[in-house]
Amino acid sequence: MAVEVRMPTILRKYTSGAKAVEGSGSTVREVIEDLDQRHPGVRGAVVTDGGELHRFINMYLNDEDIRFLGSLETPVSDGDVISILPAVAGG
Amino acid sequence: MLEFRIPEPVARAMTEHAQAEYPKECCGFLVGPPGEVREQVKLTNVDPDPVMRYEADPKEMKRAYDDLFDRDWEVVAIYHSHTHTPAYPSPTDVKLARDPNAAYVLVSLQDRSLPDLRAFRILEGRIEELGVVSEEKAS
Ligand SMILES: [Zn+2]
Repeated sequence: MAVEVRMPTILRKYTSGAKAVEGSGSTVREVIEDLDQRHPGVRGAVVTDGGELHRFINMYLNDEDIRFLGSLETPVSDGDVISILPAVAGG
Repeated sequence: MLEFRIPEPVARAMTEHAQAEYPKECCGFLVGPPGEVREQVKLTNVDPDPVMRYEADPKEMKRAYDDLFDRDWEVVAIYHSHTHTPAYPSPTDVKLARDPNAAYVLVSLQDRSLPDLRAFRILEGRIEELGVVSEEKAS
């Protein structure tokens, strides 16, 4: 499955400045693994050492927050758009 | 000191947002072409303790980012208010700052009749203040 992955500015250092890159896989996790092959660092920025989605990263499959779908195991289809957004928080 | 330029109407709108949410903290983006503030995007603070902390509503952020993506604009600054402390990044602000490209703008309403607006960059835990230049006319 080929999907478009939209990168926030803070992750574009891993994609030579590209605001969107193509990835493939059958789940969100597989797409991230695939991206990390060509853009090393992406996985570490998004997924914890324990394999979970980082607390302060939000990921969307099209318009849905993947936390309300199947998180990183959410299946993806050809033409889907994954958006990665850093949380905006403080005190 | 590096400058942070902001159209005066945007600065005023940000202060009004802070006043409207008081005593809760407000938050939002200042967006535009890279490096240039053109518009304010108000975001809802969804933190369970909104008087002390902020977290922007993820759904609203998604809509804002989609819009920026289509326009080739970016988040030039992330703003929030402090209602009981000065306009200076708190330890939590520094810990949770994720964007080295964005300016972090703070509006303090410690004295409600005299809002204080300051801007910073937060890079790997270090705070660098920017000189706020409020411009009468948007470019
Ligand atoms: Zn703060």
